[in-house]
Amino acid sequence: MNDFSVEADGLTKYFGDYKAVDQVSLAVPTGSIYGVLGPNGAGKTTSLRMTLGIIDPDAGTSRLLGGHKPQSVRHRIGYLPEERGLYPGMKAREAIAFMGALRGLDWSEGRRRAATFMTELGLERVIDAKIRKMSKGMAQMVQLIGSIVHAPDLIVLDEPFSGLDPVNQERLETLVRREQARGATILFSTHVMAHAERLCDRIAIIARSARRFEGTVDEARALLPMQVRYTPRDAGDSAAVAATLPAGAERRGDAWHFAIEDDDVEPLLARITASGHGVTGLSISRPALHDAFVHIVRQVDASFDADAAEDAIEEASA
Amino acid sequence: MTPFIQSMFVIARRDFLAIVATPTFLLFLLAPLFMVGMGLAGGMGASQLADSARGKGRIVAVADPAEIEALRAADSRLRAVMPREPALLELRVATPAADPVAIAREKGSDTYAVMSGPLDAPRIVEREADSGSGRYLALLAGEVRRAKAAGDLPPVTPRFESLASAGTSIAVQQSLGFGAVFVIFLLTLLLAGQTVSSLAEEKGNKVIEILAAAVPLESVFLGKLLGFLGVAVLFIAFWMALAFGGGLIAATQMDPAAIAAAGKAGKAATALAAMPATGWPFFLGIGFIYFVMSFLLLGAVFLGVGAQAATVREIQMLSLPITIFQVGMFSLCAAAASAPDSGLARFAQIFPFSSPLAMAARAATDDGQAVHLLALGWQALWVALVIWISVRLFRAGVLSSGGGWKFWRGAKAAAAAAAAVEAASSQPR
Repeated sequence: MNDFSVEADGLTKYFGDYKAVDQVSLAVPTGSIYGVLGPNGAGKTTSLRMTLGIIDPDAGTSRLLGGHKPQSVRHRIGYLPEERGLYPGMKAREAIAFMGALRGLDWSEGRRRAATFMTELGLERVIDAKIRKMSKGMAQMVQLIGSIVHAPDLIVLDEPFSGLDPVNQERLETLVRREQARGATILFSTHVMAHAERLCDRIAIIARSARRFEGTVDEARALLPMQVRYTPRDAGDSAAVAATLPAGAERRGDAWHFAIEDDDVEPLLARITASGHGVTGLSISRPALHDAFVHIVRQVDASFDADAAEDAIEEASA
Repeated sequence: MTPFIQSMFVIARRDFLAIVATPTFLLFLLAPLFMVGMGLAGGMGASQLADSARGKGRIVAVADPAEIEALRAADSRLRAVMPREPALLELRVATPAADPVAIAREKGSDTYAVMSGPLDAPRIVEREADSGSGRYLALLAGEVRRAKAAGDLPPVTPRFESLASAGTSIAVQQSLGFGAVFVIFLLTLLLAGQTVSSLAEEKGNKVIEILAAAVPLESVFLGKLLGFLGVAVLFIAFWMALAFGGGLIAATQMDPAAIAAAGKAGKAATALAAMPATGWPFFLGIGFIYFVMSFLLLGAVFLGVGAQAATVREIQMLSLPITIFQVGMFSLCAAAASAPDSGLARFAQIFPFSSPLAMAARAATDDGQAVHLLALGWQALWVALVIWISVRLFRAGVLSSGGGWKFWRGAKAAAAAAAAVEAASSQPR
């Protein structure tokens, strides 16, 4: 096995004339948790489907678990689709065993593991309840268990957190970490940054059909300058305070907000200390992944708007 | 077991259990009971109607007293050999007042024909022109005259000999063939049509993506087909067992003497003695295999067509063309069964969707057995081909187009999405 569990290269998909996915590449290191982030309709689900070989890409290739075609290693993959679905007439235990059996797991072993998993996740009351009697969140947890019951080497989860209450979201995070500890590679998509920030070793951001960023969470956050919040002790002379701070500093109440480059931290501290305005509060922090994400997506949108505007001008002048 | 076969059986098992383990299945299983009940009620009603009408029909001969006896004797001689027994003959002595038209119009009975006048030039008043009753009366008159002219002949004393090992007549074999076609057709009509809606369930509850991700679609399709075949076989086995058990009970309850006495038992025995050309065990066995093939072939087509349908309503609309298609195959094969060596029969045997029916009929009339192996291989090839095409269509259309679960809508939906994106991006901010 090589170092990557997922190697998708240049995946492209057209729906009619619309390019739903444009040259998306994903390289997921074995044993890592990898997040695919993006706004709604960016092409995350289509990218994952192509990666898993559920639909054929119009261009590009996908190799899984060390250079295999997706179809040839089905039994080593677990997949939770974005559109949740179970047979409503089935009991939870049977549904999980069925999904395991599809991936080559023995029925009785599947039933046994189903009971174990459900008990661990606090669902022991509904082990023998029919799916149609369950709440949506419960059914989703059942389906999640079903997609990992056969102990796959690669777990792909499409928006696993949506529709879960905070307690279950927490449980799911624990489950994901445990699967990673078992040795599995986890690839999941989401548009909730908090989960990605806590879980992911690496992330890819997809917006407007194409991959716009790839790297660690810290690298993504480093795209934006650090944010400083500074409260001087003596706030009387705002013009004098502003003079010591970088241009663009903004005053909200007593505090000043501004961004600085990484190299400017020490000079800033020196200036503040020297200025004699005093310090009652000072925080210098990286912006959250949320801000980095919004920043990237806005940039992409802005370039599209610019293109559209140029097109409009060309059309008008033509 | 290869993973393909294994996953096929996982799907088949799920489908089979999902169908069988419901109260509705009991209704389905017992449905023929209603049909039999209705049939019995209808049959009894019809026979009562026939009973009450019987005896009301008559034909009348108005003749001289001298000829009455001769007419009666001739009638009893001729009546026995008529293919359809003529209506009751009423003989009346001619009186000057007897008017045949008035007699024909008498109330209280159906009078089909009235003969009057001298026997060498009778006047026959018929209810319908050129009716069998009229011709029978004319024949009767001729017979009386002939008997009179010939005088007393010594009676013919024939000696009847029956051919003990004559083999079965071609006509009986052909009707056996037709019977096989009919039974297979009826069973496929009743059972195979269900497959059309089978993928609708997975599309409705979105399980299809789990299946498509976990196993090859071919094994999903084949597994579903197999699950439905299991239901069909269960259905047939249930009724076979019921019929067999019922037959056994009836046989033990009945007095053997009564069976021997009943004229019908003799007829049933001759029917059983009639052999299909390939022999009963082979004929029944191959008949069952051809049923399976017919089920798989038609089921695969319906499954593939149904997989493209987006809504339950579309599936309902599809059931009519499907039934017509099946009836078309049936009429083709029925025609072929009655003309075993014609070009039509050859066509029906080769055309894949009618092949199982036509080949089952052929087993009744033709004793070649190797040809069935060839036919089964040919049909299996077509099952595989139909599944292959259905899966390609399904993959290309339904799965790829994201939201629009329909292949000819995929492009439209995508175009609409593209337009929406365009509109959104061209909005000034």
